[in-house]
Amino acid sequence: MTILGRSIQATASAVLLASLAAAPAVAQTVLTLDEHAIGEIDPAKATDYADSILFYNLYDTLVIPEAGGTEILPHLAESWSIDGTTYTFTLRDDVRFLSGEVMEAEDVVFSLERMIALGQGFSSLFGGVIESVEAPDPQTVAITLSGPYAPFLGSLVRLAVVDKDTVMANLEDGDYGEMGDYGQAFLSTTSAGTGAYSIDSHDPQNLTVMAKNDEYFLGVPEAAPDIVRLQYSIEPATLRALITRGELDIGDQWMAPEIKAAVAATDGVGLGTEAGISSFYLKLNNQRAPLDDVHCRRAFAHAFDYESILELTQITDDIAFGRPAHGPLPLGLLGADEGIPTGRFDLDAARAELDLCQYDAGDFQIQLNWVAGNPIQERIQLMMQLNLGQLGFDTTITTTPWAMFTELASSAERTPHVSPVNFILTTPDPDSMLYTMYHSDAAGTWASVDWVMSDEVDRMIEAGRTETDPEARAQIYRELGQKLVEDQVSIFAYELVGVFPIRDVVHVPALQEAGQTYSVQGMNFMFREMQMQ
Amino acid sequence: MMARRFQSRAWYRFSAEPMAVLGLVLLAAITLAAILAPFVTPFPEHASSFVDFRNMSQPPSASHWFGTDLVGRDVLTRVVYGYRISLTVGIVVLGLAVPLGVTLGMIAGYAGGRLGAVIMRITDVFLAIPALVLAMAVLGVLDRTLINGLIALAVLWWPWYTRMVYNQTRAIRNEGYVVAAQVVGASHSWVLFGEILPNLVPSILTKFTLDLGFVILVASALSFLGLGVEPPTPDLGSMVAEGAGYLPDMWWMPVFPGLAILLVVLAFNLVGDGLRSMFGDGM
Repeated sequence: MTILGRSIQATASAVLLASLAAAPAVAQTVLTLDEHAIGEIDPAKATDYADSILFYNLYDTLVIPEAGGTEILPHLAESWSIDGTTYTFTLRDDVRFLSGEVMEAEDVVFSLERMIALGQGFSSLFGGVIESVEAPDPQTVAITLSGPYAPFLGSLVRLAVVDKDTVMANLEDGDYGEMGDYGQAFLSTTSAGTGAYSIDSHDPQNLTVMAKNDEYFLGVPEAAPDIVRLQYSIEPATLRALITRGELDIGDQWMAPEIKAAVAATDGVGLGTEAGISSFYLKLNNQRAPLDDVHCRRAFAHAFDYESILELTQITDDIAFGRPAHGPLPLGLLGADEGIPTGRFDLDAARAELDLCQYDAGDFQIQLNWVAGNPIQERIQLMMQLNLGQLGFDTTITTTPWAMFTELASSAERTPHVSPVNFILTTPDPDSMLYTMYHSDAAGTWASVDWVMSDEVDRMIEAGRTETDPEARAQIYRELGQKLVEDQVSIFAYELVGVFPIRDVVHVPALQEAGQTYSVQGMNFMFREMQMQ
Repeated sequence: MMARRFQSRAWYRFSAEPMAVLGLVLLAAITLAAILAPFVTPFPEHASSFVDFRNMSQPPSASHWFGTDLVGRDVLTRVVYGYRISLTVGIVVLGLAVPLGVTLGMIAGYAGGRLGAVIMRITDVFLAIPALVLAMAVLGVLDRTLINGLIALAVLWWPWYTRMVYNQTRAIRNEGYVVAAQVVGASHSWVLFGEILPNLVPSILTKFTLDLGFVILVASALSFLGLGVEPPTPDLGSMVAEGAGYLPDMWWMPVFPGLAILLVVLAFNLVGDGLRSMFGDGM
């Protein structure tokens, strides 16, 4: 990596020398940050945090959420109208792809069809929801839904518009008939979007290098970094050294709190936060004895030491990566309810619930799992082991790599009893969180390891989707939140606050200024909004 | 009378090597500490399920000589308890591997011919696979428990004894006393275990002692890779692995368990060297 890093620096210096010779002498600014592998640059396949960062810099969407809120604002679409279940978007006419082609309605149609056809990434936001998508003229896109679907507008922040002509010119053989591989091979190596940045080089396990797109339709400010290097999966000790040596500018939020505190204590490094868009759950497998009994689940929830864990999340005196959770939704989201009490650590109450539970604690070997690379989860499971032990439960703590975690999550029998999950909002709409985690149709993923499988919960989620009045929706979600807490489907541990070490060489408004945070993962890393100092 | 004279001469040779004696003293101290862990450690409760977030990640101090770990457990206590696992691993693994390896090696060397060739080719196959890879493969198939970890290590250790014993058996199977025993009608098993085995004991014992250190090292490497003991049981390799992510700020977390591994491996090596000179050269 160091050698690669050096050669890139060398290349950058060569470019710099060339530009010096050319005339206006302007040094290139380089921003380096890190995330966990792998970096997926095909926008139809993006799911993770790293993917989302790439997504919002390489591509644009019809709409974006407002900073610091959940209102949906125009972006590639200038305006829209809603007539029943038909959404008609009027596109901007001044947007160009990297190829120089003007972005038109047929590109939007192609992008949506491609996403649904591939069926990966966040395609479930659109699959089965859309009846037709048409381009009556180059500036107009008409999308007709198969029924009322309130989260639709918010879902569109996950539809990247790709350059149809460029992708069609680069099709390879594949399973999609005349569409070949639908451009999968091509779009996994480079970008074909309208984004503020373009791909210089891309190695999904290691490093992605992006360069400013001077033709961006909104213009990219001078202060934004010229070159961005996104590195993947750096060892924690190395990462710490790179930041303090000034070779890496923004660390990832999965670094251990002690390390964040240590780097924040060095000169020229501060901490940025991303609050209100994520939560941390200890998910209980509702389909597996003894946790198929609500009383046993409540006993587990009372064995979680909420206050100690919140203390554990304290990084510096005024910055913590956790804050009290009021039910499943982070506060600030539509339908989040501050009236839902936070969990309470009380072993006597836990014993009382255990008495009501149909099972005996001694009959079970409880699996407490944590995901490799998330040391904080191990500490939490050690705490659970101690407290469950006092209730008479025999426990084992296991660690699984992420790939294994998602594999186990595909069957209720194999999903461990207790699994930690960080969920970061993928669209500004609460449906993206609730449906993905709790609806029976979405079961079998890492997000739904609680295996709720409840008809009543399904009905409430569907009611929230089809209700178009925001206040009525909020009421549905409040009731759903109360029910999920009442049924204690998970342990609602804490609201996760993303905390990122940031060197003073860059200012990141979305993470460092109050009220500027976007409520969608990855969006707070739009490099065009960052300012190199 | 003869035996006692041999013993005292052997001890003389051993004690003439100060490093060997030092190793023996170290080993005795480590073993005693491990056995008496509940009485000699400051916080024995920290070796099992225990969490104290208020005291987590504290540097070495008067109350915690080796500091505390990520959930507030005393590192010194866990290092001493970690020796229990290490020593158990060493003894159990070699307890399984040595009898198997020695028996196969003697049979192959004594019988020779096709049987010997088959045994030795199987041995070669095992020797050809890198030890860690083999252990990881075994643990990939079986559950990652301590017992399976021991089996994995035993699987990769026996061939070394087979090879050593095979060569030595071939060298002595035509010695006068072996032939004499055969001539007077001793059974094969008597010849193997009554005549040949006693002559192999010095080299087996020396290798056994040296290997104890290596087994502990490899077991630590396995648990460093996440294939070891289940938490909250203290294990030196896992402690190093976990602490390594917190260098250099919380150096005490990986450094003390790492030094502990170094110390026990060193002690076994010193004693092994002492045994080697005690039994004379030729090994």
